[in-house]
Amino acid sequence: MTLKKEEGPILNISDLRVTFHTYAGDVKALNGVDLTVRKGEVLGLVGESGCGKSVTSLAVAGLLPRNAEFVGGTITLAGADILKMSREQIRLRRLTDLAMVFQDPMTYLNPVLTIGSQILEIITQEPQLFTSTLVRHRLEEIQSEGKEGPALAAERERLLSMSRTGKAGRREVNRLARHYVISILRKVRLPNPAKVLDMYPFELSGGMRQRVMIAMALVRRPKLLLADEITTALDVTVQAQILQLLRELRNEIDASIILITHDLAVVAEVCDRVAVMYAGNIVELADVDELYSNPLHPYSKGLLASIPRVDEVRTQQVSIGGSVPNLLFPPSGCRFHPRCPMAFGKCSQVKPPLVEVKPGHLVACLLYEE
Amino acid sequence: MVLVLLGLSILVFYLTRGLLPPNFALAPYVTPRMDDATRLSIARSLDVATSSCPSYTAFVDQQAGCIVPLWGQYFKWLTNVLSGNWGYTLLPGIAGTDSTLHVFFSRFPYTVELALAGAFLAIAIGIPLGIISATHNNKLPDHVARIFSLGGYSVPQFWFGAILQIVFVLYIRVNGVGLLPASGALATTCGICFADPGTINTFTGLPIIDALASGNVPYFWDALVALILPAVTLAITSIGALSRIVRSSMMDALRQDYIILAQSKGLKDRLVVYKHALRNALLPAVTVAGLLTAYLLGGVVVIEIVFSWPGVGNTALVAAEVLDINFLELYVLVTAVIIVVINLGVDILYAKLDPRVRY
Amino acid sequence: MAEKEPDRSSQTGRWADTRYMLHLFRQNPIVLAGTLISAASVIIALISGLLVSSTYWNHITPSASLCWNNQLIDWHISNVYNCGGPVYPLGTDLYGRGLLQMIIVAIPVDLQIAFEVVASAMIIGIVLGGVAAYMGGAVDEIILRVTDIFLAVPGILLAIVLLVVLGRTIPILTTAVLITWWPFYVRLARSQVLSEKEKLYVERLRATGAGGARILFRHIIPNTIYPLLIQGTLDIGAVILTVSALMFIGLTPDPKYPELGNLAKQGIQYIFTAPWLILFPGLTLLIISVGFNLLGDGIRDVFDPRLRR
Repeated sequence: MTLKKEEGPILNISDLRVTFHTYAGDVKALNGVDLTVRKGEVLGLVGESGCGKSVTSLAVAGLLPRNAEFVGGTITLAGADILKMSREQIRLRRLTDLAMVFQDPMTYLNPVLTIGSQILEIITQEPQLFTSTLVRHRLEEIQSEGKEGPALAAERERLLSMSRTGKAGRREVNRLARHYVISILRKVRLPNPAKVLDMYPFELSGGMRQRVMIAMALVRRPKLLLADEITTALDVTVQAQILQLLRELRNEIDASIILITHDLAVVAEVCDRVAVMYAGNIVELADVDELYSNPLHPYSKGLLASIPRVDEVRTQQVSIGGSVPNLLFPPSGCRFHPRCPMAFGKCSQVKPPLVEVKPGHLVACLLYEE
Repeated sequence: MVLVLLGLSILVFYLTRGLLPPNFALAPYVTPRMDDATRLSIARSLDVATSSCPSYTAFVDQQAGCIVPLWGQYFKWLTNVLSGNWGYTLLPGIAGTDSTLHVFFSRFPYTVELALAGAFLAIAIGIPLGIISATHNNKLPDHVARIFSLGGYSVPQFWFGAILQIVFVLYIRVNGVGLLPASGALATTCGICFADPGTINTFTGLPIIDALASGNVPYFWDALVALILPAVTLAITSIGALSRIVRSSMMDALRQDYIILAQSKGLKDRLVVYKHALRNALLPAVTVAGLLTAYLLGGVVVIEIVFSWPGVGNTALVAAEVLDINFLELYVLVTAVIIVVINLGVDILYAKLDPRVRY
Repeated sequence: MAEKEPDRSSQTGRWADTRYMLHLFRQNPIVLAGTLISAASVIIALISGLLVSSTYWNHITPSASLCWNNQLIDWHISNVYNCGGPVYPLGTDLYGRGLLQMIIVAIPVDLQIAFEVVASAMIIGIVLGGVAAYMGGAVDEIILRVTDIFLAVPGILLAIVLLVVLGRTIPILTTAVLITWWPFYVRLARSQVLSEKEKLYVERLRATGAGGARILFRHIIPNTIYPLLIQGTLDIGAVILTVSALMFIGLTPDPKYPELGNLAKQGIQYIFTAPWLILFPGLTLLIISVGFNLLGDGIRDVFDPRLRR
């Protein structure tokens, strides 16, 4: 597929450092994260629990909790510097540019509100941002319905005048929004979308709830979609369905996706490129095929080696020695050095920068400095 | 629900008639000049003394075979009560009759007015106070609100009422009279009152509502002004309690994951707080509403004494002093019915707010 | 070669929990204030016998009069003016006794009643609530219905009826307030035990053949008493307010009885001429109530697992 490389990346994170002030001390969660996401690509972000994947995505969305502090770095989304924006500006960005989908739809959906209420509110609270989309969508719908009775013709006229003047009454907007949302629910393959709108989250299955969350993201036609462990809480079969949905959607919608997961298999199925994260740093970044066949960073090698394989006979489970560092007192220099089988003297003193070792393949490891 | 009321009626019946000597039940019906034979016949007609009781003295001494067994008395009482016969009371009626129902219900609307005003204030002040506390957590509005809630929750109501009276009747004076009235349900001698408010037609018995319905604005104003201090005193404890509960449940709700999603959808903060968080936070507060009703209806007794409010609460105290059984029974059971009905309403409201409960 | 990891054992392990809680406890000014105030009131209560002679409240000056700052406000009993010196910093009551002294004598009375009520209510609540939750079925239903009956009446009303029927003595007052309070503890204990008995260790105990009562009382209940203790601390304030309100409206054994509400009652007619009769006893009630409420709040904040993120 053609990647418009001349256009700037949709997201550029540069040397991002975030510290959490907790009762036990300061947790240095992000230690200089460098990441770029190109337009239209699916980037996988993998790492163990607690390595900072979610923190990174929350930082981009401006949703970090109050005890988080941006110690350094920049985040540029669609050309605008997030860290310099006011709360209100970030909020509007979330409506137009950025959408997040989370891990456990049961706790992330409000249990006392209907699905319809929770999706439609996105549109109805800033209707002017959506009017053109709604009108266009309904016009297409009317067109595809074929034969036009007088009622539909009248509606068509109304819609056209609406798009000319840019104004719409609230009831009209609600009605159009309902049509639009139903079509989006259909797009995420939810059965009986009209009925779903009036149901409550606990009446749906896990997979259906996850589709609802994806639909909530699609409604805004975002430029960037952050999917944080969206399949982790699902059964394997449902997981496969959601991934399939994601694959189908990426061809239809015009968004870049960051897929955060700890499951390397998921990454292999959907992503174009993959970034490996460890203890608050990006340690490797490459195309999927390249990384899986030729991992360079010792951590990535360990990760890939520890995946059980069907075509190999093993007598022992391979794993990476040691455990994830306590980020209250992180290791100096390269944060992986205490567990690294290839570590040498300089590793404990200097934090390795992310450098391009081969075209399109970046690593942060002193082994490749020379 | 009916079971609870039935059980309560048994309990109250036992407390009043079972624990007291049976001649107390005769009190409203006998005069000092009656002779023993008349008294005995009255006792028999009330089904307290058996027909085989030899004399009045035997009855008073509770000789064996002379007193109708308690269960028998209870069933007779129950049939009476359910058919609207509550007998007579020792308390003087306002319009001359001494029927328990009449004496009670001629004063009851005032208590209802007071209780409703208290409930209104508790909700209108308590809930927003809790919300403000939660949304400005650990900042100045939170601290102020929490101090206020704690004070309201800890203050003795009679003391608070007295303080209000001292401040608003003694110290803040207008034209040589206190700003607000110190007593009564209709204030004519206070600094901002109308001296001659005229009359109104009675629709509901609640002065404020009747005044509005009759179109008599001065009367409405006087009644409203008289209601201020008592209602605030009644509500202060509930305001404290309610705002504490709302604060903690709002803080809980705001910590939930769905708030993060709501924010990530680009919703305005106001929408997130009032639609997403509040709907969930009000649930625990609603369950407390039933308890608060009981508290308010009990608190009116003290308030009515401090402010000389012409309701049924301070009358209950007088009735207790003279052991007026009929009145006390009616009072307790009417209060209980109200509480049970409101609890039922609260349950329904809760089911409406929380769809998970319906399934 | 990896660096030697510094010793982090103080950050992890069992002790971290307890130490963290103590740390919060010490740091929280609310808890501190609450502890101080309630401790002060308890101490005053305990040493009141030393501060004021224990026969004080029976000793009515033969010429009782109402004094403030050595000025006579009202002759109440006799015609002889007798406002003795600086003995009465808070004025006197209607029987000529110094108000400050009376308050000091009254504090232990109130606290004692409150502790008795709360302790008894907790015990009854634990037993009934625990049994109801553990045994379920008909027993549960009956106990619940009985609780509902008592919750359908405002406490004050029930107490009034009991006091006038059974006599206005302190033990009956205590019992009357207790009867209106225990339903809350039964409910609380019941819901605690209900959720506790679903936990795995209960099944394990049952499998080893432990009897129901033993499981209930030796294992489940100790794990569930924290909320009840917190509620109990908070309730001490509320009970004192209820008791004093009952005394205030006249249900006292004796108009001269040293109890804060009873002292305040003397001042109803004197609100504008001798406001201190109501003000100071009421203020004492407020302070004691605030103290125990702060203490209960603080304990709850410290023990609340949700705040430990």
